[in-house]
Amino acid sequence: MKYARLAALALSVTAVLGVTGCSPAAEPAGEPIVIGSQQYYSNEIIAEAYALVLEDAGFTVERQFSLGQRDVYVPALVDGEIDLFPEYTGNLLQFFVPEATETAADDVYAALASSLPAGLTALAMSPASDQDSYNVTQDFASANGVASIGDLAGLGGLTLGGAPELAERPYGPTGLLATYGVTVEFSATGETTVDSLVAGIVDMANVYSADPRIQQLGLVTLADPLGLFLASNVVPIASDAVNADARALIDAVSAAMSAEDLVALNVRSVDEKLSAAVIARDWLVAEGLLE
Amino acid sequence: MFDFAELAAWFADSTNWDGRYGLWFLLAEHLVLSLGAILLAAVVALPLGTLIGHTGKGEFAVIGLGSVSRAVPTMGLLFALVLLFGVEQRDLSLILALTAIAIPPLLAGTFSGISTIPWSIRDSATAQGMTGLQRIRHVELPLATPSIVGGFRIAFIHVVSTVVLAPLVGLGGLGFGIVQGLTVRNYAQVLASSLVIIATTVIGDQLLGWVQRRTGSRLVEHQTTEKS
Repeated sequence: MKYARLAALALSVTAVLGVTGCSPAAEPAGEPIVIGSQQYYSNEIIAEAYALVLEDAGFTVERQFSLGQRDVYVPALVDGEIDLFPEYTGNLLQFFVPEATETAADDVYAALASSLPAGLTALAMSPASDQDSYNVTQDFASANGVASIGDLAGLGGLTLGGAPELAERPYGPTGLLATYGVTVEFSATGETTVDSLVAGIVDMANVYSADPRIQQLGLVTLADPLGLFLASNVVPIASDAVNADARALIDAVSAAMSAEDLVALNVRSVDEKLSAAVIARDWLVAEGLLE
Repeated sequence: MFDFAELAAWFADSTNWDGRYGLWFLLAEHLVLSLGAILLAAVVALPLGTLIGHTGKGEFAVIGLGSVSRAVPTMGLLFALVLLFGVEQRDLSLILALTAIAIPPLLAGTFSGISTIPWSIRDSATAQGMTGLQRIRHVELPLATPSIVGGFRIAFIHVVSTVVLAPLVGLGGLGFGIVQGLTVRNYAQVLASSLVIIATTVIGDQLLGWVQRRTGSRLVEHQTTEKS
C-alpha cells in the first residue's frame, strides 16, 4: 500500500519533470513541430486544428496543450521550446508592449509583428477574433435604449462586472470614463461574471466576444465605435522551425476561420462537451481542409 | 530577487488602501466573512460537541465528521454551492463552504474538552445534587474552555486562510490582491496581500492563544490546590 503510493508519487513527479524539462533528444528524421495552447478550451481547439492539418501533410507534431497563461508559455516560445502557438493579436501585443495605444485590427497586427522577439513571426491573422467586449442583457438594452457603449453615458449608478484584473486594464473603468464619459462602479465578479449579469447584480459585464453564452443567453454586445478595446484576432505565432510549407497550411486554416466559426466551435465544446480533436477535425472537414 | 523598495512603495501608496478594493475594505470583508463562518459553525458545533462529550454517545460522529471534512475540497464545495443557490447568494455559499471546514475542529475541541474531564470531578458534581444541565454549565463547560478555545484557534487558521478563494466567485477579501495581481503581473501587490493575510492569521492566532492561556490558568490552579 505504502509502496504503491510512493510509486504513484514518483510517477507523477517524473511526469511533471517530463513536461517542464527539455524535450527529448531530437529525432534524426525531422524534428517534430511542437504546438502549444493556452489553458482555454477555445484556444486548444485552434491549436488542434493546426496539429491536424500539419499531420495530414506528413509533418510530425508534438502537442503541448493547456500551458496556462502567457507568463508561463511565452518564455518557452521565445526559447524555441514551442514552435507554434495560436495567439490573439491585441492581448499578445499588450503582453509585449503594455503601453500600446493601437486598437484597430490592422494597426494592432502591425504593431505586434514589429514587437515580437527575434525568431518569432506572426503569421497571417485570422478574421476570427476573441476579444474583450461589454455586454448587457436584452432587457437592459431595450429598457434603456442602448446599443453602443457611448449610449450609457447618461445613465447613473451603473455597475460593471468582470475579472479582478479589469479594474487595472486600460479599457476598464478609467478607459470607459476617458473614452466614452461613462461612469461605472466596478465589481470583481470573477468566474461568476455572466451569471451576475443575468441575475442583475451588475448592469454590464466584460465577456470574451467568442463566448457561446452571449448567443445562448441573448446578451447584447455593445458597439465600440471609438475603439476602447484592442482588436484581438486569432494569430498563429511561429518560430523559425516552422518552414514555408507548414506556414502555408496554417495560413489556410486562419483564412478559413470566420468569427462565426470560432463561436460555433466554442458552442460545440460547451454544449456537446466534445474533445478539441473531434471539434477541430469536423470543422476542418467541413471547410475542405481535411479529408 | 524581489525589490523590497517596490513593496514598501506599494504599502505607502494610499490608493492601495482606500476604496472598494482597497486594503482596509478587503481586510474588513475578509474578517467579516471569516467570523461569520466561524460563528455559524460554533452555533452547530458547540451544542453538539457538548452533548456528545456530556453523554459520551456519538463519539464516532466526531471522528467521522473530522475525517470526512478533510477529504472535501473546499473550492469544489464552494462552486457547487454557488451553482446550487445561484450567484445572488454567493456570500451565503462562501460562508457555508467555510462553515464546513470550521465545524470539525470546533466539534473536536468541545467534545474532547468535556470528555477528558475526569469522572471523579463529574461524579462529585452529580453527588452534590447538580442536574445534568447544571453540571454542563458550572463544571464541564468552564473546565473545557481552553480546549474549546483551541478549537476556535484551529478553525480560525483554516477559515482565514481559505477565504482567499472568495474572489473566484466575485467576492472580495484579501485574496483579491493576489488573484488580480497575478493576472496583471503586479507582484508587489501579490506579496503585500500575502503578507497581510499571514499577519492577520498570526495575530488572530496569538490573540486566541492568549485567551486560551488565560482560561487555562484557572484549571491549572484548581489542579494544584487539589493536589496539596
